Amino acid sequence: MFRIQHYFMIGSSVFLLLLLPLMIIALKRHERSATPRLAIIQDMDKMPYLKPQRKSDLFADTRGMRPHIAGTLAREDFIYINQAETQLHPNNWAATHVVLNSKMQYEKVLYGQVLRDGQGDWVKAIPIHVTPEFVNRGQQKFDVYCGPCHGDNGRGNGLVNQYVAQLRTEGSPDAGTWVQPTDLTSPAVKYMPDGQIYGVITNGIAAMAAYKDQIPVVDRWAIVAYVRALELAAAPVPASKLPAQDRPPEPTGKVAKVATDGMQVAAATSQEQKQ
Amino acid sequence: MSEKPPFVFPKWINKATLGLLATLAIAPVYLIILLGYGANARTLNVGFSPKQPVPFSHALHAGKLGINCYYCHTDVMRAAFAALPPTQTCLNCHAEIAPKSKELEPVRDSDGLGPASKAGLPVPWIKVNDEPDYVYFNHAAHINAGVSCLTCHGRVNEMTQVYQAKPLNMAWCLACHRNPGPNLRPRNEVTNLNWNPNNKVQLARDLGLKESQLPKNLGKYLVKKYKIASTKLLTDCQTCHH
Ligand code: HEC
Ligand code: HEC
Ligand code: HEC
Ligand code: HEC
Ligand code: HEC
Repeated sequence: MFRIQHYFMIGSSVFLLLLLPLMIIALKRHERSATPRLAIIQDMDKMPYLKPQRKSDLFADTRGMRPHIAGTLAREDFIYINQAETQLHPNNWAATHVVLNSKMQYEKVLYGQVLRDGQGDWVKAIPIHVTPEFVNRGQQKFDVYCGPCHGDNGRGNGLVNQYVAQLRTEGSPDAGTWVQPTDLTSPAVKYMPDGQIYGVITNGIAAMAAYKDQIPVVDRWAIVAYVRALELAAAPVPASKLPAQDRPPEPTGKVAKVATDGMQVAAATSQEQKQ
Repeated sequence: MSEKPPFVFPKWINKATLGLLATLAIAPVYLIILLGYGANARTLNVGFSPKQPVPFSHALHAGKLGINCYYCHTDVMRAAFAALPPTQTCLNCHAEIAPKSKELEPVRDSDGLGPASKAGLPVPWIKVNDEPDYVYFNHAAHINAGVSCLTCHGRVNEMTQVYQAKPLNMAWCLACHRNPGPNLRPRNEVTNLNWNPNNKVQLARDLGLKESQLPKNLGKYLVKKYKIASTKLLTDCQTCHH
């Protein structure tokens, strides 16, 4: 005959049995899975149109995105040549356009040099109007693209350099042929024309690769402006040496000091620009 | 003619009925719990982490070496699609660092240092976060609105192998689109996954304000400052399906 204990045993084993699937699910939720989710109903999840960075059988080499054709510009590299002034496109935070007024200006901005019979003279001063915002933008881009190796202060000892130096002292073959990046506040860089620094970013030099595919034209110039600011920060110009209109107000307190130092650098950079 | 005895339920049915009723009562509740828990987007979508052709570690590159997301995902603030870096980007460093590493072989093959049949073809990375093709998603719109990579991709800078950290289903998108404010931060902190909203000095510098001028409600302030579209527009079907 059934007893109360039997009920209890059946009840609890059923309960445990019911709990099992929930426990398996709970476990799975915390695991990584190498297979994508099961899609029983496909809807229109996968359509045959061409998406960025995917394969395409239309082309023999299956590359859906076609390589860059020599002698052409990508649309986002397009630079307006017909308007009045050379400056940053005003309305767009992420803009990479400048407005130019002549072919010579175009060469200056795009190549950092004026070409004569294939021979170039490096542009002496940044051919884009330098404002504090422009230098700020330069700082942002510098920290992204240059900072890992050259260091955020430009002294040539970024985290990557530190890491590889560590590998080298450990005798790891992974240190490879790495050389310490140049100190950007050193005289060698300080007395380079602006155009030449632009040229180094664009085409690379020695062990440093070319960054023209990673950094748009305008941002490269912004970085040059910021490199100048770093040099000034390493050997600052006293505020009293600045022209009256660029001189910051007397600092009050600690925070104000930091702010005026920033202004000093930006003002000095734009001063250099005017020369 | 013998008469058939009338059908009588056996006695044990009395007890079975109890079990049957209990099953009928519990089963629907149980099935709802099971489906709700087992078939929801959080369970199904999160955690997808395929083995990549190169064991590239964000924990090392973006975490330890401190390389900014933009260094590799260069177009994410300008384009709808957050491109994976081309082979050249890896070689900026790996032409010199770990030049003989076995793990980097597919990268060198892609650059043309290996068999000719692979030269110029990209490293076949496997896509991790993948929306259905009928959904329109745009990275630039979110990055420029101050939505961090962290909000949608989790702590990538601590992942040795990327996994999908958020469900990416429609309910998840809409939850934010109904009230984006609390998820916003200054634009130049978008790729800083360790951003601390309570660091007033940094915040003031990011916003170009004095510390005493800082807004009480950062979300509200940024919604206005970045001119975020209205909830009505952000939850309109056409925004994401067109
Ligand atoms: C050194 C280059 C590099 C840096 C820096 C980098 N990534 Fe990546 N990222 C990659 C590569 C290569 C892949 C593809 C391989 C993979 O999925 O692991 C990738 C993949 C991803 C994916 C998955 C893409 C997909 O298929 O869904 C996300 C998300 C991502 N990265 C986010 C970030 C974030 C956020 C940062 C900044 C914290 C960052 N990455 C920094 C190189 C980089
Ligand atoms: C800014 C420099 C830099 C860039 C760019 C870079 N790496 Fe690295 N990578 C390193 C350093 C430094 C190490 C550490 C080397 C070591 O520990 O042996 C490393 C290690 C690696 C390793 C482990 C190698 C080994 O044998 O232990 C892999 C795999 C790797 N990187 C893949 C990539 C890929 C793929 C890319 C391109 C998306 C890339 N890296 C871009 C600097 C970089
Ligand atoms: C609002 C949410 C959101 C934010 C913010 C976001 N992503 Fe994504 N990301 C997604 C979604 C959704 C996908 C899948 C898109 C698809 O499949 O169409 C994705 C895909 C990617 C991919 C794969 C390539 C692609 O575009 O499909 C990479 C790489 C990536 N994200 C990197 C980043 C980085 C780096 C950041 C920060 C700078 C970032 N994402 C910020 C939601 C976001
Ligand atoms: C954490 C918050 C957040 C999440 C999550 C999020 N969004 Fe958004 N999204 C925003 C904000 C904020 C804007 C407003 C941008 C603006 O108005 O400038 C926006 C705008 C958009 C737009 C309009 C872009 C344009 O071109 O005008 C689309 C499309 C969009 N989101 C799609 C998605 C999809 C699809 C998802 C889910 C995969 C998603 N979003 C998830 C915050 C979010
Ligand atoms: C913020 C972006 C966004 C908006 C606004 C939006 N959707 Fe979606 N929708 C998505 C995403 C993302 C998915 C993909 C869900 C998934 O992969 O699970 C989706 C999926 C769907 C699906 C397919 C569901 C399935 O699994 O088969 C339908 C139907 C749909 N949406 C209808 C609508 C309708 C109707 C509206 C307007 C009321 C709308 N959506 C508004 C982002 C959006």
